[in-house]
Amino acid sequence: MRVDQQLRLDEQLLLFMDQLEALEEKRHKLNSLIEEGWFSIAKARYSMGNKQVSSLQYASEMEPLVYIETSMLEDGTAEFKCERKENKTEELKSNTIEDIGAKETGLRRRINTIQKGVKEEDQETDPQGKTKAESGESTPEHRDPLKWFGILVPQNLKQAQSAFKEVITLSAEIASLQSAIIAIRKEMQGQMKEKQQKTEKTQPEMENE
Amino acid sequence: MSGRGKLIAVIGDEDTCTGFLLGGVGELNKNRKPNLLVVEKETSIAEIEETFKSFLARSDIGIILINQFIAEMIRHAIDAHMESIPAVLEIPSKEHPYDASKDSILRRAKGMFSAEDFR
Repeated sequence: MRVDQQLRLDEQLLLFMDQLEALEEKRHKLNSLIEEGWFSIAKARYSMGNKQVSSLQYASEMEPLVYIETSMLEDGTAEFKCERKENKTEELKSNTIEDIGAKETGLRRRINTIQKGVKEEDQETDPQGKTKAESGESTPEHRDPLKWFGILVPQNLKQAQSAFKEVITLSAEIASLQSAIIAIRKEMQGQMKEKQQKTEKTQPEMENE
Repeated sequence: MSGRGKLIAVIGDEDTCTGFLLGGVGELNKNRKPNLLVVEKETSIAEIEETFKSFLARSDIGIILINQFIAEMIRHAIDAHMESIPAVLEIPSKEHPYDASKDSILRRAKGMFSAEDFR
């Protein structure tokens, strides 16, 4: 039993060390990505102006585009997974583009063949088409935080956005690793205490012999 | 036990918050409190601590990202947090690079080894 326990402790120690190494690697990557993000924001601020890239530009209403899916495992470890809403906004965009395209060709044909009466009707449907398109487009545009800083933003700001998106994904992985490390640490501490108690019990027996 | 759709909260300086908001973590509407705090020179430690504790109390926050120099100001509150969720991640800031020896999680992991364990 004791040998098994020691072997198990050794395995856990090796796993603990591996996890610490993985954590250090991910931390290093996270730190360099964040620094890259800050540099890009600083460059964007240099080209756009000091007050154009600051907390003054934050929207008054924001909707999160990234969520964290959490789950608790049996050993008390928490797992974190990053989920993005980008796919849905892309689908919306492609739907709205198709709709606009179909309407435009329909409108074009009608305008090409005719007269004022029908032209007036087309003009009526046109704004409706446009408003539908706007409401369809406005949700994905409204959601992209890049738009708070203007319509044409410098490439640096987009680079900052992609750097921070990667940071967010890495943060979820690091949070999972940290939780696993703490769980292993607790288990190892418990087993080491057991081991100590056993050695303390066996020592007086050996002394009596 | 699992939870879906949890948020990421940020307690950091302006550039850190701007960056993460660009990444899409921000939630701000009339009904709910924001999930971020922009820490400036005038921000008091009491306010930071109160915001941190309010994030811990919320059930819809999965991860709290906090600049390490801000974490140092409320170290006692961070060390007292023992639950797995929400996870607290210390990140560097522009003026204060990441120091692993100050990280609460790594200090807890380091503390397990003592001379007695190797007998």
